[in-house]
Amino acid sequence: MKIVFTTEGTEWESKMDPRFGRAKYFMVFDEETKELIPLDNGDVEGEAHGAGPKAARKMAEAKVEVLITGNGPGGNASKVLEKLGTVSYIGAGDMTMKEAYEAYKNGELDKA
Amino acid sequence: MKEIVVISGKGGTGKTSITASFAVLAGDDVVVADCDVDAADMHILLQPENIKSEDFYSGELAVIDEDACIQCGKCFDVCRFDAVEVINDVHTINELSCEGCGYCARVCPTEAITNEPLNVGKWHVANTRFNQPFVHAKLGIGADNSGKLVAQVKNIAKETANKNNKPYVLVDGSPGVGCPVVSSLSGAHFVVLVTEPSVSGLHDLKRVYELVKKFRIKAGCIINKADINKDIASEILEFLKEEDIVHLSNLPYDETFTKAMTDCKTIVEIDDSKIKEAISESWEKIKEILN
Repeated sequence: MKIVFTTEGTEWESKMDPRFGRAKYFMVFDEETKELIPLDNGDVEGEAHGAGPKAARKMAEAKVEVLITGNGPGGNASKVLEKLGTVSYIGAGDMTMKEAYEAYKNGELDKA
Repeated sequence: MKEIVVISGKGGTGKTSITASFAVLAGDDVVVADCDVDAADMHILLQPENIKSEDFYSGELAVIDEDACIQCGKCFDVCRFDAVEVINDVHTINELSCEGCGYCARVCPTEAITNEPLNVGKWHVANTRFNQPFVHAKLGIGADNSGKLVAQVKNIAKETANKNNKPYVLVDGSPGVGCPVVSSLSGAHFVVLVTEPSVSGLHDLKRVYELVKKFRIKAGCIINKADINKDIASEILEFLKEEDIVHLSNLPYDETFTKAMTDCKTIVEIDDSKIKEAISESWEKIKEILN
């Protein structure tokens, strides 16, 4: 399973970024290979409009199955993610990435 | 640090007056951010002194180098926004019409046209007259607000709050349901919906709440001027119940509101008003929910 976290930094101890479209980083974790790959989202931060759909496009390119974030994606981004079959889990905005992963595994996060 | 965002959907419901009142009640505990940058006016009530100001760029604008231009008219032909004007046989860009798409620069045979970042306004870090950090922005005429500018104002406010150990960031949100308000809501811990009992007040409340729901943010509602239309006020109450939105308070129609405004004061600075009491209670409720 490939899982993506919206984060403020690139370490397991980094804080989650509650935002989706304008998240600082997307951290892609491959549960099989245990590989953790950062995707810098700085280019989207510079966009005046449409940050959500642009970030959703990155999810398509990274082929992630699960998204773990804070507030959850907005309307336009949700539509794209739904089509991709990506399942979003929310409510991890105030956690570290590590805590968010634990919470997800323990079934403590809500589905968006 | 908890982020509280105040929005209304409809204009004129008293959103900014109430946000500024919360700011006064929060005292030293808060960093205030005005994300209603199209018509920013919280500074009128909080009278801040700017400490730091910076230009803000969003989008691009085509610029023609007159010396390199051969007046061939190709840019004029392709522009879909009629932004290329020919004045006395010289091609120029109408800055208000140009959308910065870059088509003209692409077809220009002499590379006389370049797209340059567009300066749309300024953002400021300031201190309110209550000596609270205040982040706000001012857009130029004809410039449009964007999720990017709102995100920037909020980021600076959050950084300031973290640096100074302030427990709350209070955001005067953007109007409407578009990109700027999405950006205002993103990352919030609690949303205050300010509405009034009118047909459009309820209609716009429902629309903007769709967004809040999407983000799954806990929300509370203040019904301003609640006594001017009791039927719609009870319709609003029903809606709040259905959607599990906390009813924070009803504010009566009271000329104190107008008096405060004409004195450039917040409502809670006018003593002995019912409104002051209701707003103070609402603020206490919000703190209770967040902690």
